[in-house]
Amino acid sequence: MTRGLVLAACAVVALVGTAGCRKGGEDRLRRGDRLVTATISDPKTFNPLLSVDSASTEAVGDVFEGLVRLNPKTKLPEPVLAASWEHDEAGTTWTFHLREGVTWHDGAPFTADDVAFSFEAVFDPQVPNSVKHVLMVAGQPMRTEVVDPHTIKVMMAEPFAPLLNSIGFDILPKHLLGQALKDGTFTQTWGIDTPPEKIVGTGPYRLVRYVPAQLLQYARNPTYWMRDEAGGALPRLAERTSLIVPDQNTMYLKFLDRQLHTYSPRPEEIDDLRKRAEELEITLDKIGLDTGMLFVTFNRNPAHYVKDGKADPRLAWFTDPKFAQAIAHSLDKRSMIQNTYFGYGEPAVSAISPENTAYYNPDLAPYAYDLDAARRLLDEGDYRDRDGDGVREDAQGHPLEFELSTNAGNQVRERLCSIMKEDWTKLGIKVNYRPLDFTTLVEKLSTNFDWDAMVMGFTGGVEPHASANLLRSSGNLHMWRPNQQTPATPWEAEIDRELAAGARELDPRKRVTHYWKIQEILHRELPMIQLVRQQRFIAAKSYLVDFVPTVWGIYEPERIAIRP
Amino acid sequence: MARFVLLRMAQMVPLLIGITFLSFVVVDLAPGDFFDTLSMNPSISPDMIREMKQEFGYGQPLPVRYGRWLWRVAHLDLGMSIAYRVGVLDLIESRAANTVVLAVASMTFSWALAIPIGIVVALRRGTLLDRSLSFVAFFGMSVPSFFLAFLLMYLALATGWFPVGGTTSLDYPILSPMEKIGDRLAHLVLPVIVLGTGGMASLMRLMRSQLLEIQSADYVRTARAKGVPEWIVVSKHILRNALNPFVTLAGYELGTLLGGAALVEAVMNLQGLGTLMLDAVRSLDLYLVMGSVLMSSVLLLLGNLLADVALTLVDPRIDFSHLEAVR
Repeated sequence: MTRGLVLAACAVVALVGTAGCRKGGEDRLRRGDRLVTATISDPKTFNPLLSVDSASTEAVGDVFEGLVRLNPKTKLPEPVLAASWEHDEAGTTWTFHLREGVTWHDGAPFTADDVAFSFEAVFDPQVPNSVKHVLMVAGQPMRTEVVDPHTIKVMMAEPFAPLLNSIGFDILPKHLLGQALKDGTFTQTWGIDTPPEKIVGTGPYRLVRYVPAQLLQYARNPTYWMRDEAGGALPRLAERTSLIVPDQNTMYLKFLDRQLHTYSPRPEEIDDLRKRAEELEITLDKIGLDTGMLFVTFNRNPAHYVKDGKADPRLAWFTDPKFAQAIAHSLDKRSMIQNTYFGYGEPAVSAISPENTAYYNPDLAPYAYDLDAARRLLDEGDYRDRDGDGVREDAQGHPLEFELSTNAGNQVRERLCSIMKEDWTKLGIKVNYRPLDFTTLVEKLSTNFDWDAMVMGFTGGVEPHASANLLRSSGNLHMWRPNQQTPATPWEAEIDRELAAGARELDPRKRVTHYWKIQEILHRELPMIQLVRQQRFIAAKSYLVDFVPTVWGIYEPERIAIRP
Repeated sequence: MARFVLLRMAQMVPLLIGITFLSFVVVDLAPGDFFDTLSMNPSISPDMIREMKQEFGYGQPLPVRYGRWLWRVAHLDLGMSIAYRVGVLDLIESRAANTVVLAVASMTFSWALAIPIGIVVALRRGTLLDRSLSFVAFFGMSVPSFFLAFLLMYLALATGWFPVGGTTSLDYPILSPMEKIGDRLAHLVLPVIVLGTGGMASLMRLMRSQLLEIQSADYVRTARAKGVPEWIVVSKHILRNALNPFVTLAGYELGTLLGGAALVEAVMNLQGLGTLMLDAVRSLDLYLVMGSVLMSSVLLLLGNLLADVALTLVDPRIDFSHLEAVR
């Protein structure tokens, strides 16, 4: 009997071992006029204005269009529903000339009324949405004025430089949703139970089928306005399908099984894919670094440390530049990249990603990984091991000991924490690592401020003003000391001023200087000590034509075709 | 009998109120709420979160909110999911069919295999067959289902015998009706094996031990001594008497019909309620969680009731009429 079992086990192992060795098979993706991709989760709504998660935004990304969109190559706004625009001398009135001959998927003409209606929906107090606060200028909503069916004026209280980067929100059809906005039922419109043909946009694709937890299917909009250089109709592909695959491992298996045209591999899959590129008929492109940031930050909020007039010593350490610099010198970013990203990453220096070429400040000198320098800085700050127990004490004799947290279950952040803990222990700092459940972490960051050090990350876009909530001292995401009435330090006041000036400056070249200055201040004062950025890759079938992925999105996705 | 059923139905109401109230309190006591994730998103302002909280009735005291929910439920309105802004019933409905298909198929698989195998191993107790099948059963009970799922998916990838994940293939809408059925069945095979294995293994062990116990009962020995043919002994005396726990179990399984299997659904990319509900619990989408709690409780209680009724039919020794007499 034992022999039988051993044989059976061998058979299973052999079968599993041959996984992927299956030769060729028929590539069903190759025939047909259809692009198949995967997404990690179900959309929560088909109403683009109500979406608060990337899956929902992505799900109708090709169905709706804004006035402008980001060109991922130039990283500048390019015309979509607005064919051109200009602003007056003061920069407070912008005139958008809308593209003529554009129709909604149901045949109704697209006009300036639709744009005015969309603005109205954005600023409606009954409609919670993430566009509203971005478009509030000096605390006031923008006003619109329809000049003629293809011209609309947008007026704001003061010049607003981020306008073109912020005004790309999806335009909605007034003839279909106008009544709902009046009735106050707008927030219940276009939920995921809506029949797909009722979701009407102007975009290159119409939604034709949604099967929850399975797929989203789109068909070409035959009357789409965009043409290629030769005057040919766009989009080139008749269909698009997005498979909903909630597990990343399964997504990878599906890509290996030739069920997907494109896939964003995780670092550990890259070498495997590279080896098998030929067999799988794929190309593996390095598309760039993460656009967001990943950092360690220390709590500088007296609300947590000052009780009954007595300040906890930690407040003094965490606001001490010497302490922050010592930490900055103790980050072994090479090991971090090796251990978390399998070598595919770069040390991060600035809060703005180098991929954001327009605003990234390349002149910042990185803090080198140098434990001796860190020790010297701690000594200078009078943190010494006074009792010989291996842990440094401050001048008052309090041992340097604090908690380091991050959200539990995020493997990258957990590994970063363990590397930091190791190095900080060498410096004579005692760290208690404590991963936190996400809701607990949020509670600590926004309600009771009961934390010491935290590894956090944020996604980032091209528009630097989008981080205002984080950078401004009065912002609720100004984590190290949120919601300040007046800036607590001169450098926070300076950042506030630069942010305000940057938002008002319409000359792009002058505008950049404000954000360079902010990066400089952040780099000097170290409220967020930057860690690493992952190198992103995209694997795609080599027979896809004009598929140009970037970290900012796919460049001109209308042009993608399949080489027969 | 009718009175007994009515009585039990009436008892369900306070029980359901108790269950849902406790769940409501537990979700409420859990640290944070649905809006926490949103508050860490730089593109979402605190004002927006305030507006949303107001929209969904947050900020009122717990008994008021529970009372309102209960009132709506009494009118067959399970409320709206916060994440989806869609009625909870509609959300559940959109995935229920496939969940039921999956659950029924895997239950059929496990019962259809477990019972005959259980009988065979019990009758051949101690033989090589018994020991090897028992080994398989223990393996089936102990292997984590998601691991088995990955194992089988690798197998599917390596051999191409079965589709790798999903409920239907891409071209499903353009297939002929027969091909559609075939496509569905092909996609069902691996999930059913994964979901049915654990249940099959424990059912088989239960069947085996039941039979072994009854085999040594006096009436079985008497029957054999009387010279009753073996197949009648087994079918009439042993099996009939071994049935009771299985009737009860079947009732319980009704309660899990709409429960879904979140992990396996996620790994095998199946359409089902499990992932929806797991996400709801994780993100503290209150009314969606409550909807699922209510649904499973009702099914469980109904399943229990059905099992009890069925027991009186199967086993004449069980009689609930005395309960009525006591009242």
